[in-house]
Amino acid sequence: MPLLEVKDLKTYFSTGDGVVKAVDGVSFSVDKGETLGIVGESGSGKSVTCLTIMGLNARRNTMSMGQALFNGEDLLTASQARLREIRGNDIAMIFQDPMTSLNPVHTVGTQLIEAVTLHRDVPKKEARARALELLKQVGIPRAERRIDDYPHQFSGGMRQRVMIAMALINNPELLIADEPTTALDVTTQAQILALIEKLQADYNSAVIMITHDLGVIAEIADDVVVMYAAEVAEKGPVERIFRSPHHPYTWGLMGSLPRLDTDVDRLAQIQGQPPSLLRPPAGCRFHPRCPYVMDVCRKVDPELAPVGDDRRHLQACHLDEETKEREAARLLGAFSTEASAAP
Amino acid sequence: MTTAQTEPAAGLDLRGDELLVVEDLKKHFPVTRGIIFQKQVAAVQAVDGVSFALREGETLGVVGESGCGKSTMARCILKLLEPTSGRILYRGRDLTHLSRAEMRPYRREMMMIFQDPYASLNARKRVGFIVAEALEVHKMGTPAEVKRRVQELLEVVGLNPEHYNRFPHEFSGGQRQRIGIARALAVNPKLIVCDEPVSALDVSVQAQILNLLKDLQRDFNLTYVFIAHDLNVVRYISDRVLVMYLGQIVESAARTDLYEDPKHPYTGALLSAVPVPDPDVEARRKRIVLEGDVPSPINPPSACRFHTRCPRFVEGHCDVEPPELVPRAGTPPDHAVRCHYPLERWPLTEQEMRRATPAGPAAA
Repeated sequence: MPLLEVKDLKTYFSTGDGVVKAVDGVSFSVDKGETLGIVGESGSGKSVTCLTIMGLNARRNTMSMGQALFNGEDLLTASQARLREIRGNDIAMIFQDPMTSLNPVHTVGTQLIEAVTLHRDVPKKEARARALELLKQVGIPRAERRIDDYPHQFSGGMRQRVMIAMALINNPELLIADEPTTALDVTTQAQILALIEKLQADYNSAVIMITHDLGVIAEIADDVVVMYAAEVAEKGPVERIFRSPHHPYTWGLMGSLPRLDTDVDRLAQIQGQPPSLLRPPAGCRFHPRCPYVMDVCRKVDPELAPVGDDRRHLQACHLDEETKEREAARLLGAFSTEASAAP
Repeated sequence: MTTAQTEPAAGLDLRGDELLVVEDLKKHFPVTRGIIFQKQVAAVQAVDGVSFALREGETLGVVGESGCGKSTMARCILKLLEPTSGRILYRGRDLTHLSRAEMRPYRREMMMIFQDPYASLNARKRVGFIVAEALEVHKMGTPAEVKRRVQELLEVVGLNPEHYNRFPHEFSGGQRQRIGIARALAVNPKLIVCDEPVSALDVSVQAQILNLLKDLQRDFNLTYVFIAHDLNVVRYISDRVLVMYLGQIVESAARTDLYEDPKHPYTGALLSAVPVPDPDVEARRKRIVLEGDVPSPINPPSACRFHTRCPRFVEGHCDVEPPELVPRAGTPPDHAVRCHYPLERWPLTEQEMRRATPAGPAAA
């Protein structure tokens, strides 16, 4: 049994203009010790998916359907009290913005200790020792002194480390990281990713990494879910997604990425804007931006189907297999010089 | 004051046809103590001795971590901040000490594109007004001409000219950045300073904006100073790249030289920290992880400012004798490095990275 199994998850928000289907039938699973990467543009529903799993959407105006089985227990139907037990203990979340996710009027020590004492009946002294241990683990220099500092006394990278320390303080089985490095410099990003990998290895936790950076995905993920307009466009093991991508949107994402290791004359860009989720396009939601669009794409929404007989690699596109193999090979051929140039 | 040609700058190899020359630019912000009698107790050395030259039609990329002084430098070039010392020459004319009125004709030729497309457009003005404002300030054309020009500009940047009367909130992030670009283009500038123009955008929109900037450069012969912390983006758009650390240039080279053969350990660390979207390459790569954060620019480390984080630090040399920004043995003459122990080759293993061997300036 996977640690977390999400089945046909749907999250709808009712707004003044109508119902926004922010997540519309998303399924995936994560095993212990595994890292799942979720990629997609802003508004593709990747953050809402995770907030729904955590039960953190505002209850007014929100409808959630489907199942999110964590160790067999459905989080969507769990009571608020039960969710409070799980959050921060069994499942922890690292938010994107380290500047606004910490409480400015309490010291980081107080906030870390609170995270421990909420879930464990331990003396404050012990909780403080645990907080200190975590701050040291995430590489905060002079942690004995900094534990009594306020968040504003830390830099962005340091605050993100505090957030990670807080998420890991109860050794969660599942860590959800929502763009944990987007606001950071590359050097700090490298430190944080190395840290998440190390802690994952130490505790055999599962990680869900939400990002729009395919580079981060290539570095850290075992499995990848590519989301577009509230749906899964493609998912599969990381080497399949990067070696043999099967969805035009995945091709677009890869082609539009400027590369460190090769000179490119012109980026292949995806035309247009992501669609409004109030009134998503009929048929395949990617069809208005897809260079390979056919008549069937405008009418029939493609099912998520296995690629060949590989049941781990799924894609939702009407194009025939031959065209996909050819286009994927052409796209990857453009990067073929990379192997020699990359450090 | 006449537009006398000023004598060539020290330390820069100039050909005389540069559009922009920056010489030993410094910007120090005072740190004061006391309420009434404010006494200066220290200075934030945000930019500390930056020199470079830029020819027409070129793109100069500037990279560095946050707090390295890239944005302060950009604001100094446009005289949005008064430099503490140094000179800014535009077409050979010294702009450094011009008054606001004297500066005005030059403002038309130097424009800026800002980082945050949500904060840099006035939410209460219509798009037409935002783009037309510069035209009106510089009294370029009758109202009818201005309107035609604005619609033309919206079309150039890939927006619907009929959206002239909409407000910024009706546009997405990428479209807003296009409005910012249309505004910068309105008065036919020669030089555009782009301060992280794509870092707030999604990758697919980022590619659209980068391609647009490249097309505009080709069509209008624009010169860009392109500031970014994303090294991938800088490689795509730049002809030359400056790497900044704590207010100083640590390496300056043509794009391909910098990315294929970096010499400064800091550049090497930056390049190795960028994740490459390819799991096989990622598995083979060795990362040089820098310890700690950028030191405070109020009290920068002595001599080489990078020595506190450098894997090649040699005690008694790097922290005593400041390195010069000069070409080194085996590099092209326009590849300058501020390091006593530049990298011998690239990529390096971790052991090689730590083995420092001194290298003198290039003999030629």
